[in-house]
Amino acid sequence: MKLLTHNLLSLPVQAMGARGFALCLQATEVRINPVESNPDFVAGMIPKVEWAVLLEDSDTLHLFKVPKKPIQGHEHKENFLRNVHHVLLEVDVLEDTLQCPESGFLFPISRGIPKMLLSDEVT
Amino acid sequence: MAAVSGGRRSGPAAGVRFFCTAGRGLEPFLMREVRSRLAATQVEYISGKVFFTTCSDLNMLKKLKSAERLFLLIKKQLPFNVSSVSKGKILNEMQRLTNDDPESWLNAISIWKNLLELDAKKVKLSQKNANPLKRKVGENAIIAKKLKTEQMQEIQENKECQLEKQIEEETLEQGNFTTKRDKSQEELQNDVTEAVDTHNQNNLTFRVSCRCSGAIAKTFTAQEVGRVIGIALMKQFGWKADLRNPDLEIFIHLSDIYSVVGIPVFRVPLASRAYIKTAGLRSTIAWAMASLAEIKAGAVVLDPMCGLGTILLEAAKEWPDVYYVGADVSDSQLLGACDNLKAAGLKDKIELLKVSVIGRTNRICWWIKCEEKNKDD
Repeated sequence: MKLLTHNLLSLPVQAMGARGFALCLQATEVRINPVESNPDFVAGMIPKVEWAVLLEDSDTLHLFKVPKKPIQGHEHKENFLRNVHHVLLEVDVLEDTLQCPESGFLFPISRGIPKMLLSDEVT
Repeated sequence: MAAVSGGRRSGPAAGVRFFCTAGRGLEPFLMREVRSRLAATQVEYISGKVFFTTCSDLNMLKKLKSAERLFLLIKKQLPFNVSSVSKGKILNEMQRLTNDDPESWLNAISIWKNLLELDAKKVKLSQKNANPLKRKVGENAIIAKKLKTEQMQEIQENKECQLEKQIEEETLEQGNFTTKRDKSQEELQNDVTEAVDTHNQNNLTFRVSCRCSGAIAKTFTAQEVGRVIGIALMKQFGWKADLRNPDLEIFIHLSDIYSVVGIPVFRVPLASRAYIKTAGLRSTIAWAMASLAEIKAGAVVLDPMCGLGTILLEAAKEWPDVYYVGADVSDSQLLGACDNLKAAGLKDKIELLKVSVIGRTNRICWWIKCEEKNKDD
């Protein structure tokens, strides 16, 4: 599961306001895969990404230091885009558990695929 | 009718007429596709077939995604009238398909050879230029195998085309056609010069595939019709029949609406994709569905019930600068999807999740906030 996917998953809870919480990442097995660079794509993704979650993920997994806020005019900052590209697309979480901060519910990630089921229904 | 003189080796013949078979309901997609991908003109759709004219070469034609198979058109005419005529009379009429206008047949065949020849040249060039490090081993094996079989056949045609430069098209000699298919590629390439000297290799081997539907199917079997046409072709052009591995395949479809004759352009149907290991949904339909989503670069696309990921695979091949996510509730399907992604080399473009789209709605609902994010920007 890439960190971009982790970022896109969120919990919309009415009382909490528009964005809701993200899942808590406790990385157990992580792999770094080189991914062909596409700066335009990354630049386009930055506005869509929840920056706080990105910061937290980057911290938890001891990755590059990501700046506290996306750089203004980031489309032209090569280094910045490369770092963000690395964090969002090149880090693959293989085995882990995601925890919902609201309910404490645990969702396993196995072989890179997070299982977001509330019960062991259909498999 | 196949238009324009063949025999020009500088580029593809201008405005060649083709037709494609398409699944029911996919014809509008195919018509749109040939217009946008191939700048096709004279686009017509008649009951499961789309006819069009284009100057595109085989590489572009190969990219058609909503077609089943592609054929070079030899003849399209009104259906045979079977209502009150004797069987013998109808068979005579069928023979006229080949005998009335042999020029159109020879024209079409020379266009076909030119197309294959151009493609063979490009394949040789691209093989020299290909960076072997970029390809993955699995893909390489499949591509290499396909190229080899296609090349073996194309080099065959190449050789024959060289000969026809020497001999006028009208005078096709009887002769022994020694099949050299067992020779290695290098030997074949050297053979071209050798073949120019020998004058007796002008015969094509062929096979007729016939389909009958509607009223005519009640009177004739496909085999009968195939046999009649086959014999007429042998008499007219002196070709030899080879049912197992012919050079040329002739495809005939007789229905209530038309009689169509064509040459299949590729050995393998367009609908079978090299990049899909295990198909779930039919590839043509998957592509059509993806095309309806109007995917733009930089988008995030979710397939909430992706199964083996066929739709995502088709989409990722056509619109690559996009983030794809597939979700399914079944472990076995996800496993298959994972397999497919690996085989297609698309693991980086497509993510997988195990999610149920039905089930208890309580305070915990998981959404992928693709569009919501967009609204806030």
